[in-house]
Amino acid sequence: MTVELLIILTLVLGLVSYFMGRFNKVYGAVVTIIASMFVFISVGYMANDILDGSTFNYNAVKYLPVFATFTVSYLGIFFAILVTFVFAMVSFFNPFFVEKYKYPAVYNMLYIFSLAGVLGVFFTDNLMVLFFFFEFVVWSGLFIIPLGKSKKAAVSYYAFSTAGSFALLYAIFIMRDVAGTYNLYAGLASVSGTTQGTYVMILLSISAFSKLGAFPLHTWLPAAHGNAPHPFSPVLSGALVKLGAFVAILALVKLAPVGDLQSVFGSYTDATFLYASQYAVAILGAMTIVFGTLMAIRQDDAKKLLAYSSVSNGGYILVALSIGGSVGLAGGLYHIIAHALASAAAFLAIGAVSRVTGTSKMSELGGMIHKMPITYMVYLIAIISMAGIPPMGGFISKWLIFQAVIDNGLILIAVAVFFGSIGSFLYVFRPLAALFLGQELPQHKDKAKIPPFFMLLPMIILSLLIVYTGVFPNYILGFINDVMAELGVDALVIGKYTIQGPNGVLHPTLVASVFGVGVLIAFIIFIVLKKSRKVGLMDTYTAGNFIYTEELMHYSLDFYAPIERLYEKYINITEDFYKKLENKVVDFGRMVKYFFFTNKPEVTVFWIVVIIGFLLWGDL
Amino acid sequence: MSAILLIAVPLLTAFVSILFKKYSHYMLIAVSFLSVFALGYMDLETITIGGFDAPFGIVLILDNYSLIGLYLVNILFFIVAVLNCKEYKKLSSILLVSLAGLNGLLLTGDLFNLFVFLEVAGIAAYLITTTNKKPLATFNYLVQGTLGSSLYLLGLILLYAMFGTLNMSDMAREIGTSGYGAGVTALPFLLMFIGFGVEAKLLPFNSWAKGILASSNSLSGPMIASVYAAAISLVFGRLLTNVFVIEGTLLTIVMGILVFSLVAGEAMAFSSKKVKEILLYSSVSQAALVVLVFMTGFAGWAVYLIIGNATAKLVLFLVTNIAAKQLGDDEVDTFKGLFTNNKVVGLAFTAVTLSVVGLPFFFGFVTKMNILENMFLSGAYVWPALILITSFIEGIYFIRLLLNLWHTDGDSPEVKFDFVLKYVVVVIAVLTMIFGVYTKPVQDSADDLVVYSITEGGNF
Amino acid sequence: MLQYAAIAMLMLGLYGLLTQRNVIKIIVSLNIFEIGLNLFIISVGYVDDGIAPILTSNFNNNGLIFVDPLPSALVLTAIVIGVGTTALALALANNIYQKYGTFEIDEMGEE
Repeated sequence: MTVELLIILTLVLGLVSYFMGRFNKVYGAVVTIIASMFVFISVGYMANDILDGSTFNYNAVKYLPVFATFTVSYLGIFFAILVTFVFAMVSFFNPFFVEKYKYPAVYNMLYIFSLAGVLGVFFTDNLMVLFFFFEFVVWSGLFIIPLGKSKKAAVSYYAFSTAGSFALLYAIFIMRDVAGTYNLYAGLASVSGTTQGTYVMILLSISAFSKLGAFPLHTWLPAAHGNAPHPFSPVLSGALVKLGAFVAILALVKLAPVGDLQSVFGSYTDATFLYASQYAVAILGAMTIVFGTLMAIRQDDAKKLLAYSSVSNGGYILVALSIGGSVGLAGGLYHIIAHALASAAAFLAIGAVSRVTGTSKMSELGGMIHKMPITYMVYLIAIISMAGIPPMGGFISKWLIFQAVIDNGLILIAVAVFFGSIGSFLYVFRPLAALFLGQELPQHKDKAKIPPFFMLLPMIILSLLIVYTGVFPNYILGFINDVMAELGVDALVIGKYTIQGPNGVLHPTLVASVFGVGVLIAFIIFIVLKKSRKVGLMDTYTAGNFIYTEELMHYSLDFYAPIERLYEKYINITEDFYKKLENKVVDFGRMVKYFFFTNKPEVTVFWIVVIIGFLLWGDL
Repeated sequence: MSAILLIAVPLLTAFVSILFKKYSHYMLIAVSFLSVFALGYMDLETITIGGFDAPFGIVLILDNYSLIGLYLVNILFFIVAVLNCKEYKKLSSILLVSLAGLNGLLLTGDLFNLFVFLEVAGIAAYLITTTNKKPLATFNYLVQGTLGSSLYLLGLILLYAMFGTLNMSDMAREIGTSGYGAGVTALPFLLMFIGFGVEAKLLPFNSWAKGILASSNSLSGPMIASVYAAAISLVFGRLLTNVFVIEGTLLTIVMGILVFSLVAGEAMAFSSKKVKEILLYSSVSQAALVVLVFMTGFAGWAVYLIIGNATAKLVLFLVTNIAAKQLGDDEVDTFKGLFTNNKVVGLAFTAVTLSVVGLPFFFGFVTKMNILENMFLSGAYVWPALILITSFIEGIYFIRLLLNLWHTDGDSPEVKFDFVLKYVVVVIAVLTMIFGVYTKPVQDSADDLVVYSITEGGNF
Repeated sequence: MLQYAAIAMLMLGLYGLLTQRNVIKIIVSLNIFEIGLNLFIISVGYVDDGIAPILTSNFNNNGLIFVDPLPSALVLTAIVIGVGTTALALALANNIYQKYGTFEIDEMGEE
């Protein structure tokens, strides 16, 4: 199976699913499962091949343009296998949601198209092909998002993504100009360390920031994730956002860093190998973490909350990648996996809840655990990983990132990183408490039921993987070491069950077993002790008065009001900035219209006279 | 077959059709179909008229460049004519005149002859726009158009006084050998540039465009925005690449005009809330882009840009004008959800729009990438950045428009599109997709076009 | 000398187009502009003491100086075209008057 053939087959399957979808909505959605499983398995075979040491430079389909070359690298396969896995898992949800969409067949087709686009991005060694698929992913996602709740979200998704792709394109042209070829590796190598390299790095960073939803280019992400159709939110957050991480690796690891920080701040920082460019990205990443966390705390919509947590996690990835080194890079790559799995699982769980209740607002939900216990467990495991608590995958990656940050003496960034970690305790458990725990709301009582098996299956697989990545990280870290070897970074020192950081050794399995014992004890206590009595929601009195508006008693409403008051004045600054920018363009357009487009011919005559006058003025 | 028939036959038929009013629209269809058909039997040649050899006589040049332009204009013209021949029967004779004028514009190799055809096509265009029932807008168009072509004539005469020739390639040669600096020829070239700028909708000279296109109908909209725009841009391109010498102050002025048109056009479209206005302002910007590409010397890709824009604008204006006629106005709010009941037309419209925006798998992507690449490699780093910024704005408003047309919260409007129109738009959409993927012929021929567009002029 | 008269007429026409807001006056301005242009074209071909470039059989004018015949030919065409546009413009003026009841553009209001 060559890459071209795989991509073309995927596109064909997309068309098949469209026509199946015209014929029967659900069958069309089933095609998406088949297609994405097929792609995932094929990519798995490629991974298997590359681990066996085969060489890869596929160019078998001769009708493609000559420059459309593909190659399989460790880095590509790392991203591809993760992303196609997320696609494959999420696709199981499609048949259950597709009937509600306005254009179900189009949804199926575009779902598969964006999968094909992602494959193209990760497997090409040609910059033009990379851009081609980059834009392809943008427009195929673009028409899926409005099938959810909001058209505006799709427009801002397009705007920011396109800004990112155009920055990428300009960087590509610079590389093409210097290297004389569109080859990815030659291009990056040729500009590395030159003046053009600085521009390329800035442009690639813009591209990565916009895709990853990092501050200050993040405003599209919560809107798009929060408003996309339920099965597409996990794909956006778990898979498509990772394109930004891919570009970030090109910018931060593959290019030589720019600007010697040591000569400027020599005595103030212990960052021995950190350069200005990396430091700037790390600072912006840290701001992203703080910003995402603060915004996530105040969300009422569970999907928006998770979206802001994606923003914040994107910040972690940027911090880790910009610090680099074997620990930092390994932490970043591992965090990409951990976050993809956790956010996909969490979004799927929320999606499963809103399928039956029709809302994902926390203040309108409660007590879903009674009817959906497995969904609850899935969500619990996902958020534990997101908060970076052992024994889940998120713990390992955050441990590595903390090690890298501390080892380099980056105090400001360390503060942000720890703040984000504590902040995520604050916010991720809110949907847990609000959606699943508490009393069952009467309006959802009859509708809630255990999701069908094929919805549970992907969620369970994801949960098991989250636990696996937390307990036995060393197999995956071994693969990450291969990726890092390809990127020219020293390998992370790992034992059979241990990870060696600069400040100590981590025994994930041991930690996990201690945790397991703790959970076991808690479970025994739960079984042995007396059961609690269930009361109805309306069975509530305060100060002897009956409560008429029970929603106000929902304890997750305005939960962090005191904290929010500290910063709620400043939350809209970036949004306002883009809004004002837009208004400026509109004002300019209106002004030109007002001055130039009247029903009198004299305007044209006037400008003709002015321009001729200008020319003659210069001559006389 | 001689290319002169492309001018003579429509002109003759136009006068004959006045005598047989009943059958005039059949004549229109027949002639416009025949001229598309006849193009296949034309040899590439230079035709001297009346036996006077160039540079003394008038020559018609049929090279690859004008051939591709003739195909484009005649096919688009045929489509517009077929779709409108019943509704606007009265205009058949005028449409025939305009066909003659447009073919003449594309073919002629003589600067004064170009002026004549410009006026012939122009007068036909004014008459076509009278179907908008906005006499003031048409009057405005007429005054500006006449003034523009008069300025062209003035510039032309100044050139004649200097170099004593009217033949394009002879003129170019004379300018090359005369040793005059760019300052001497700047004024005539500016006057000619303005003359074409009025017709090509470049910004300070185009206040007619809003009055005409914002209230256009299914005949005048596609005709002016697509067929005329294509023809004028192609002729403009020939002048820019072969005749004009633009340097010094003139270059500053011209670039200023182009940048302003490019940016302001997109900004105006961005701030518009009516579908037709969005389309017309975006075509202002695209016209400037075409001229810019010609100026930077990539004639082959500029031609493909024109083809892409003209076909796209044809579809967009046709669909919009038919829908606007049935719905009463063209506010985006009225159009919301238009395509929920017209999926086929909607898909074609979407494909064409995505092509205009320049997204992959569509024809627009190929042209845009090649233009940007060529510009960048020729060392012009500012233009690609500017084009990217403008196409960023363009993308946003087009995508916003598309999403509005597909999704609505309320009821979706009922609009009927007839079969022929559906067929046409689908064929165009499919072609944009095919050539968006199968790029080899486009790539190869674009390079050819660049070579041939330096015309061999007359045979002297 | 003729050039200056022609250029003055061109300027006058442009001035009229710039300042007038009456449909008929605009048409008149346009005509003045065109006539100035035509005069200018003629002036380009003019040669001092030249005679009309007409070849006759009963008068041998081989040794004399002709004015350039081409501009005269061009002007013929330009005049015809000018008349055509003027006629069309006047027809439109009639339409405008029927629609708005006035020739003053200011009184018609923006659309």
